[in-house]
Amino acid sequence: MNDLNQRLLAAHGADDRAALVDLYSEAADGANTLDAACFYLTHAYIFALDTGHVAAPALHARLKSHGREE
Amino acid sequence: MAHTPTDLSSVRKPVETAQGLPNAHYIDPAVFQEEKQALLFDEWAGLAVASDVPEPGDAVPLEFMGMPLLLLRDKDGAVRVFQNICRHRGMILVEEPRKIEGAIRCAYHSWCYSTKGALVSTPHVGGPGHNTHAAIKRADLGLTEIRSHIWMDVVWINVSGTAPAFEEANADLLERWKEFDKPLYHGGPDSKFTLPVKTNWKLAVENYCESYHLPWVHPGLNSYSRLEDHYHIEQPEKYSGQGTLVYRQLKGHDGQVFPDFAGLSDKWNEAAEYVALYPNVLLGVHRDHAFAIILQPISTDETVEHVHLYYPAPQTDDGMRANNTSLWKSVFEEDIFVVQGMQRGRHAPYFDGGRFSPVMDSPTHCFHSWVAGKVENRRAMAQAAE
Repeated sequence: MNDLNQRLLAAHGADDRAALVDLYSEAADGANTLDAACFYLTHAYIFALDTGHVAAPALHARLKSHGREE
Repeated sequence: MAHTPTDLSSVRKPVETAQGLPNAHYIDPAVFQEEKQALLFDEWAGLAVASDVPEPGDAVPLEFMGMPLLLLRDKDGAVRVFQNICRHRGMILVEEPRKIEGAIRCAYHSWCYSTKGALVSTPHVGGPGHNTHAAIKRADLGLTEIRSHIWMDVVWINVSGTAPAFEEANADLLERWKEFDKPLYHGGPDSKFTLPVKTNWKLAVENYCESYHLPWVHPGLNSYSRLEDHYHIEQPEKYSGQGTLVYRQLKGHDGQVFPDFAGLSDKWNEAAEYVALYPNVLLGVHRDHAFAIILQPISTDETVEHVHLYYPAPQTDDGMRANNTSLWKSVFEEDIFVVQGMQRGRHAPYFDGGRFSPVMDSPTHCFHSWVAGKVENRRAMAQAAE
């Protein structure tokens, strides 16, 4: 996770939003609780929305399945 | 702070006896605010051109009379104007011209909007990882859209939302120029320029309306476009301007000319018309090109003129286009000392608004009369509401 943190910080620093979609998805997959996973999924989804990323519909579907999105 | 309304009683008299607008209409911030509502927000005002956002997702932040606006071409190609703020905390959404790849994301809390203005996500609004809340109804919280209409590539906005439909409000000019109701192709980067001028925006309108000044301020026109070749254009309460009967086409090195707009009647072989469509757009049409000047009022004594030139075909000769831009730029620059000089003149306390030539100034008086009528109507409405 420490390595992931570093990569997230680097992607934020570079405003690499496509990378942020992937990295927050990775963080969600490694989270210990549903709330933590949805927190990270939300970030992945928002950056996917922002950039028109192909993963946006799937991320939306995951959040919606947990009652976290409309 | 309340201010004493200006006396406009003599402005709407017949041109022979009328006086121009009082100084306060050019130098008083309180009157500037009064006119903002009466002349610009209640009417169809020019904001920008659709060519500023040529492709879906193109977004340009603009300021109009202090309002932060966002000009945007949505994913389906429609040009829209929104308030450029998030419905959450009022944060500015788009800081510089850019392409919206997916959604418009507020940089503050990342609320996201579609290019059609719909609120599509509200991250953590119900707590971390909870992106919905019963109190936050997305359908009610889309971007605030400003009523807009495209004509002659100009993006017209009616901020108050109370004006008649654009086609209805401007039916007279649409009819007059129906022969030009066909695709206009912006000449591109070499066919637009801006002129910042230290003047009230109305003085730019007033100067544009009349041909009286042409032989003095634009002596280069005397050789082929004499004063007597011009005629007035006046549609009270709508627009005014001037026309010429001796328009000569620009020619290239080998005598080539720009293509004509298709299907024009013979009248336009040598005619050209220049109209100020109230409040703030100056238009010109010729057989082979057109232009639009959008006056962006900044303050009582600052205006930015945004000039755009158009052609009947998407491809035209680069050199001729550059020459045409240069020609018009030099003409419009010749007007700057006049509009700035009149602005400085409005600080002369004993100036009474001036008198009009009954023969030569009627298009300008037409504009003054419109201003006075709109301001008086607005005052009457405010009084009735008290």
